[in-house]
Amino acid sequence: MRAVVLLSAGRHPLSARPAPVPVEMQAIALARGLGADVAGLHAGAPDLAVREALGQGMDRVTVLRIGEADDAVAALAAALAADPPDLVLAGNRGRGGEDSGLLPYLLAEALGWPIAANAVALAAAAEGLAVIQARARGARWRLVVAPPAVVTVHPAAPPALPFAYARARRGRIEEQEGRSAPLVPRVAEERPYRPRPRVIGVAGGGSAAERLRAATEVAGGGRVLVDPPPEEAARELLAWLRALGFSRSADE
Amino acid sequence: MRVGQRPRMRLDRRGVEAVPPAAMVAAEPAPRRRVVAEPAYLIFAVAEAEGGRLSRHERQVLGAARRLADPGGGAVVLVAPSLAEDAGAAGADRLLSLAAAERYDLEAATALLAAAAARYSPRHVLFAENEGGGDLARRLAARLGAPFAAGVEALSAREAVCPCRARRAELRLAPPFLLSLAPDRAAPHVGPAHEASPLDPPAAGAVRRGILTAAPLPVTAAEVPLAEAGLVVAAGNGVKDFAGFLRLCSALGATPGASRVVCDAGAMPRAAQVGASGTVLDALAYVAFGIAGAPQHLQGLGRVEHVAAVNTDIHAAMIARAELAIVQDARRVMPALLALLEAGG
Ligand SMILES: Cc1cc2nc3c(=O)[nH]c(=O)nc-3n(C[C@H](O)[C@H](O)[C@H](O)COP(=O)(O)OP(=O)(O)OC[C@H]3O[C@@H](n4cnc5c(N)ncnc54)[C@H](O)[C@@H]3O)c2cc1C
Repeated sequence: MRAVVLLSAGRHPLSARPAPVPVEMQAIALARGLGADVAGLHAGAPDLAVREALGQGMDRVTVLRIGEADDAVAALAAALAADPPDLVLAGNRGRGGEDSGLLPYLLAEALGWPIAANAVALAAAAEGLAVIQARARGARWRLVVAPPAVVTVHPAAPPALPFAYARARRGRIEEQEGRSAPLVPRVAEERPYRPRPRVIGVAGGGSAAERLRAATEVAGGGRVLVDPPPEEAARELLAWLRALGFSRSADE
Repeated sequence: MRVGQRPRMRLDRRGVEAVPPAAMVAAEPAPRRRVVAEPAYLIFAVAEAEGGRLSRHERQVLGAARRLADPGGGAVVLVAPSLAEDAGAAGADRLLSLAAAERYDLEAATALLAAAAARYSPRHVLFAENEGGGDLARRLAARLGAPFAAGVEALSAREAVCPCRARRAELRLAPPFLLSLAPDRAAPHVGPAHEASPLDPPAAGAVRRGILTAAPLPVTAAEVPLAEAGLVVAAGNGVKDFAGFLRLCSALGATPGASRVVCDAGAMPRAAQVGASGTVLDALAYVAFGIAGAPQHLQGLGRVEHVAAVNTDIHAAMIARAELAIVQDARRVMPALLALLEAGG
């Protein structure tokens, strides 16, 4: 099986220096766990962050040289379509670029391949590739996709392989001319990040009286049962849990 | 608003007795639903509504949708598979029930959403930026080739702000067609309920299949990290039988938690500690057995909406915080609850 891991020009969130994106390094570990032959792919200028990825479990990275204003999706799609692997892995969000997490989806759409998001484990299955997907509230789904497929990796996946300096030195970076297609620029202003307070409780909206009530009233203020028989207390608790949708025990 | 039987005495220098205006004494009108009969445009708010209920994050998405709809006389359409609660109270003018034939079929859900967007041409479609909502938003963005703003942290009808470049920069742009909202960045809707009248679901479009099967994995609640758990049942100093407590947790399908005293005593692992120096929960519901509710403990419940407490002391802070408070010995309630569960509820 051949796997390609998409590498982005990651930046460290504090120092802004080139640094590999952690989920992409976790993606390499997942691919190696499948016993796949793993190579890296990057579209853009050769970047220090990409070179560092070589030390974490890869021998080969292809850099598709494209211009600043070129569309990475077009270059990646052209290269992958020319020599399709079985599996393309990517991080679920970038760290250093636009960081929207949209690129793997656009790539899957351009290639006409299925995509499975937020993988925390991969395994070969009879019909294809089994992907264990992280969902909200710690839930997990198991998807089976038919290769070739795009899979994005979730930060809850197993940790990356340790960095090996000799491996990073030995690894090869091959540069190629990427297919250049101009990106439609988007009308947006970029400025330094400004942390904003999170909304806690109910601020804004509603009438002044409602906002006052929300701000001053203690949450709860619900029912108080004083000295009920334990059996009745148990029934009340269970009814309350069922009303909230926790009825798992009922179908066991 | 109803003013009491007799109007409040007022000093009137004219010497004329003040008579309250008739409107002031009129009886309170029956609560009526706010109706947007002919909306200027539609805003879609897409929710997974796991278990038929809107999560806190999804309520915030509805609140944000209201902020986009209200200034221009638009209407908010809640798009959800099926709902067991009042969508109007959460701020929805319309309810569009979109359920794929197969509950876990992401590709069919995307196709349905694309069909709904084509039929009703909303001005914006909002998602919750989490594992499920974020995935659906990006699938739709790629499918439609539509502009998308990811993890929006500030939103108004004029602009959306989302972080980029490793959160060292942010993009300011006019709200695009598709947006996903980061958690705790918008207030949920408060105030009068909206109408939530049903909309006709669109005919399903063609589905391109690449995902062969999808199903949830049974995850034992004890394995779920405390911070991600949906239901947490916690033991405090009032609990002595921890084997029984853990059996109760697994019977309820709950993740076990504990107060610091219990962790300090070694009765529960440190990873189970709820509170300021432990884990801050994001659970939907929390049940406290024999926990006093010290401020450091309650800090861990900051975002939990539904709390129940069993405590022998009616004056305990935990009892005041609870939506369902039971003043009774936890050592008697826990076995009774376990017996009830084992008898099949
Ligand atoms: C810097 C600092 C950080 C801290 N961080 C945390 C933290 O992260 N998390 C945390 O939990 N604590 C924390 N604490 C400790 C906190 O202040 C309290 O001491 C602790 O939470 C109390 O735990 P408790 O409610 O289980 O025990 P207690 O205070 O002993 O309360 C026991 C409660 O159980 C009730 N009870 C007794 N017997 C029964 C029975 N048979 N049935 C029913 N009810 C019964 C009692 O009425 C009482 O309300 C911190 C303290 C400090 C100073």
